[in-house]
Amino acid sequence: MYKIKLQQFEGPLDLLLFFIKRDELDIYDIPISKITKDFFEYMNMIKALDLEVAGDFILMATTLMQIKVRMLLPKEVDEKGEEIDPRADLIKALLEYKRYKEMTEELSFLESNQRKLSYRGNFEADYKVAPPEFGTLLKNVTLYDLMRAFKNALMDKPKEPVHEIKKIPVSIEDQINYIQSRIEKDKKMSFLVLVCEMGEKIRIVVTFIALLEMIKMGKLGLRESENFNDFVIYSLADGENL
Amino acid sequence: MEKIYNSIIEALIFASDESISAAEVVKAVKEIDGEDTSLTASDVEKCVDELNEKYASQELSFFITKVANGFLFATRPEFGKYVGFLSTEKSKRRLSQAALETLAIIAYKQPITKPELEAIRGVNSDYILNMLLEKNLITITGRSETIGRPLLYGTTEEFLKYFGLYNIADLPKPREIEEIMKDQDFIEQKQKIMMNAIEENLENSTSTESDSSDSDEGGYDEIE
Repeated sequence: MYKIKLQQFEGPLDLLLFFIKRDELDIYDIPISKITKDFFEYMNMIKALDLEVAGDFILMATTLMQIKVRMLLPKEVDEKGEEIDPRADLIKALLEYKRYKEMTEELSFLESNQRKLSYRGNFEADYKVAPPEFGTLLKNVTLYDLMRAFKNALMDKPKEPVHEIKKIPVSIEDQINYIQSRIEKDKKMSFLVLVCEMGEKIRIVVTFIALLEMIKMGKLGLRESENFNDFVIYSLADGENL
Repeated sequence: MEKIYNSIIEALIFASDESISAAEVVKAVKEIDGEDTSLTASDVEKCVDELNEKYASQELSFFITKVANGFLFATRPEFGKYVGFLSTEKSKRRLSQAALETLAIIAYKQPITKPELEAIRGVNSDYILNMLLEKNLITITGRSETIGRPLLYGTTEEFLKYFGLYNIADLPKPREIEEIMKDQDFIEQKQKIMMNAIEENLENSTSTESDSSDSDEGGYDEIE
């Protein structure tokens, strides 16, 4: 079992290249069963540590298993009648990856060289005094910059609370007429029954005021009901005296 | 060529906050001195070389570097340690392996989509892409015409400045796959050569080591 430092590998391809180099394997003739075994050993180590990284490794593991299975099956042939090596795609991917990994070294070299020099700078302070003209502001703007600026603008906007006032069309006169019509039909009724169908609080309040108005005018009488929270309204118009 | 242009060009480059291209220098000079001025872009380059020679002979601490399609004043590498001490942000942080790897692929394959990039790297690259976008080393250059119209990524001027490149063609060429396969221990060899190169730079030595002459790049004179 090899002790491998985890962050050394940038991904499954990187790990495979490591195995190939370590064991001096021929990249065009990879011993699939051996490399699959090594790969699984490594995967068991990282599974316990970092699930997100392990996901990419599991995908590669299944690819290796698939290649291993296809190697055992009778050889497939392409349209030209040539045998297809099940490892061909993997080899291609490995070589492509290796190509850019080499360029990574080049970039790293350029980076360390460039870090030794500092560009003439410190223009920030000047900017704060005199903002550049509109034309120069737009010079290096890309679509991505615009997207980011738009998102920031939307997020930075302070949220103002909005109070919406809804006008409910109700008046004391309307409610007097309404009570009148109800009481003419039923002679007497409970207050709760009168208001039970009213949705808005304000309508109940206005109805109550209308009720008091009618009592004052001598059109209605009040009487306690059996229920303490309610009272009974009765009509005085027809002289009935209950 | 009149000597006066050297000073004009020096002033223009000095006053520019971003790297200023030879074409911009020519445009500025012609705007002031008239269209019949016989200054060309290659003259500007020649002036810059002359200026750099002057700075070197006077042992000045700065020079004009050719970067990001233009010219920019920079301090000499030998003072990097001291200047870097003050500008903390630059001196402490280097790009990670993953970031360099991603940049290398984008630089050579641009414009490239995220799925294409991930196919080469073999790993999910969301985080790295966002980090590079934040650092302004890459940018979204458009959308691919393929299914789903994925975003295309490319490198920026900041990328050129960060790696000290004049333009993207300045990047070292990736080797052909057949060539890579010929030498298994290529990376170790290369690192050894690079270390030699760095040490040589530091010591300012002019002698060429015989062990670096087997390198096909690097541009060292092969004196037998």
